[in-house]
Amino acid sequence: MINKLKRYEKIEFLGEGQFATVYKAKDIETDNIVAVKKIKIGSRQEAQDGINRTALREIKLLQELHHKNLIGLLDVFGHMSNVSLVFDFMDTDLEVIIKDNTIILTTANIKSYILQTIQGLEYLHLNWMLHRDLKPNNLLVNAAGVLKIGDFGLAKLFGSPNRINTHQVVTRWYRAPELLFGAKQYSTCIDMWAVGCILAELLLRVPLFPGESDLDQLTKIFSVFGNPTEENWPGLKSLSDFIEFKPFTPIPLKNIFTAAGDDLLDLLEGLLVLNPIKRKECTECLQMPFFSNKPAPTLGTKLPLPQNIRKTKEEKPSLKRKLLDSAEGGTLSKRLFF
Amino acid sequence: MAGNFWQSSHHQQWLLDKQDLIRERQLDLAVLTEEEYQKIFIFFASVIQSLGEQLKLRQQVIATATVYFKRFYARNSLKCIDPLLLAPTCIFLASKVEEFGVISNSRLITTCQTVIKNKFSYAYTQEFPYRTNHILECEFYLLENLDCCLIVYQPYRPLLQLVQDIGHEEQLLTLSWRIVNDSLRTDVSLLYPPYQIAIGCLQIACVILQKDHKAWFAELNVDIEKIQEIARYIINLFELWKTYDEKKEIQGLLSKMPKPKPAPQR
Repeated sequence: MINKLKRYEKIEFLGEGQFATVYKAKDIETDNIVAVKKIKIGSRQEAQDGINRTALREIKLLQELHHKNLIGLLDVFGHMSNVSLVFDFMDTDLEVIIKDNTIILTTANIKSYILQTIQGLEYLHLNWMLHRDLKPNNLLVNAAGVLKIGDFGLAKLFGSPNRINTHQVVTRWYRAPELLFGAKQYSTCIDMWAVGCILAELLLRVPLFPGESDLDQLTKIFSVFGNPTEENWPGLKSLSDFIEFKPFTPIPLKNIFTAAGDDLLDLLEGLLVLNPIKRKECTECLQMPFFSNKPAPTLGTKLPLPQNIRKTKEEKPSLKRKLLDSAEGGTLSKRLFF
Repeated sequence: MAGNFWQSSHHQQWLLDKQDLIRERQLDLAVLTEEEYQKIFIFFASVIQSLGEQLKLRQQVIATATVYFKRFYARNSLKCIDPLLLAPTCIFLASKVEEFGVISNSRLITTCQTVIKNKFSYAYTQEFPYRTNHILECEFYLLENLDCCLIVYQPYRPLLQLVQDIGHEEQLLTLSWRIVNDSLRTDVSLLYPPYQIAIGCLQIACVILQKDHKAWFAELNVDIEKIQEIARYIINLFELWKTYDEKKEIQGLLSKMPKPKPAPQR
C-alpha cells in the first residue's frame, strides 16, 4: 500500500474539513484526475482506534454501491491510522453553483440537478442506505454536468427495527423536523426533507431555512408550514425533545416561490411535509408530473457551471470558499470541499 | 445486514471457486495435510468465538470477524501473519464495520490475554504476545487483503425467514442456528451464498430432529446439489470432531504451522 503514495501525484490542495484534507491528484497509472481524501489523524486517543470510523463507513458502503449519480470510490491506501481514499474528481458542487450569481438556473436546469439527485438517492434507498447528510455542498458536479452524491461519512444502513440512531445528523439547515424534535428512529424521510430544502434553495438561491440554532430552525420551518398537530402528525408529542411553539399561520408555498410552476410546487409540497410518514419517497417523486412535463431537464453538457470550470481548469474555486466559510464559522461539524 | 446481496461485493467478488482455494493454499498444504489445515482453522474460529463472547459481541459481529479471517488466508499463507494476531484484528475491524461501538484497544488486548490464559492454555503456554501497535498495523493489511470489501452477508437472517416459513419451530431454529455457527469452521462461507448455507444447515437440523419437511424442501427454488455439497462439508466436520481431541493435538499442529519470520518483540 505504501507504493500507492507514489501512484497519486498531488496537483493541488482543494480543501480541508474537520476529518480530512482533500487534494486534487493525478493517477500516474491511468492519467486520470482524481480526488484524494486524506483522513486526518486526530488525537492520540483516536489514533488508538485504528482506521478512522468515518473513513471505514465510506469504504464499506461505497464498495457496495455503483450508480452514475453516486461518487465512486476508486482506491484506498495508507498505513495504520493514516488512511487516504481516492474518489472520482469532481469540479464543483451545487453550493458553488447556487452561490454563483453569474449562473442563471432555469426550470430545466433545476430539473436536471434535482432529477440526478433523486435518482442517486433512490438507488441508495433501494439498497437500504440512508445518506444522512444531504446538502448542496455534498452534491458534487463535474465538468460534464453529471451530479454525484458525495460524502458518505454519515451514511448508514437502515431497516433494523429497534436500532437506535442518533438524531444529531444532517447539517442543521437541511435537518428534518422529526430530527430536531429528537427522533431516534427514522428512515428515508430525513433524506427527502433535505432534498426538499435543496430544491427550494435552487429556486431561491439562498437557504430556505437558515436556522441559527435548533430552536430557531424549527421556528423558521413552522413560520412557513404552520405548527404541526397531533392530527396531521400522530405521535408528534411523544418525541423526546418535543416542545410547543407559539402559533404560526402557514404561508402558501406559491407566495414564497413566485416564479415556480404548479408541477414544481407539487413536488416541493410532497417533499417538505412536516409529518415524515406523509413525505414522498424518491420513486414517488420521480413519477410526479414535474419530471415528465416540459421543459425537459437540461442535458449534462449544457448545464450552466461556474465559468472557470469549462474554460480554464486551473482556477481554485474552493480557496475563496474556504475563507468565506471559516469566517462564518461553518454550519455544523463536518464540511469537506472537493 | 440490509442491502442488495446480488449486487454486493460478497456475491460478486468473494464467492470463491474450490479449485482456486486449493491452489492458494498450496504453500501451506506443502507443510500441513488438508485435515491439519482445517484443524488449525477450527481452532482459530474458536479463538474468535471466545474473544467475541468475552467482549459481549453479537453473533453477527463474531461471524463477520470469522469470515474476514478466512478470507485473508484464502489469499495468503499462514506464514504472512500469525493467526493469533489476525484473529483479534478481525474482531477489532468487524466491530467497527458492524457499528457495534468502540472496543478500546487496551480492552481488546486484556481480553486476548485473559482468554488465551484461561481457555486456550492447552495451546499456548506463554502469554498473549501482541500489543496495540501490532493490531493497528495488522488492521491495514487486513483491509487491503479484503480488497476493502467489508460488508459480509450471514446465513442468520435468511435462516430466520426460512424457519418462519416452515412454521414457527423454536427447536428447529435453535439447532439450525447452532449448525450455522458450526459452519464457520468449514470453508462454506467462502464458497456458497449465505441463503444456501442457511438451507443446508436447516436440512441437517431437520434430519437430526427427525422432522419431515420434505415437501417444503421440494418446493424451494434452489440448486439442491449445492445444498448437498454444503451439508457434506458440515457432516465432514462433525465426523472429524468425533475422533479429534484438540487439547492433545493442537500444540503439535501450531508448532508445525508455517510462521512469519521475525517473531514479535516481547
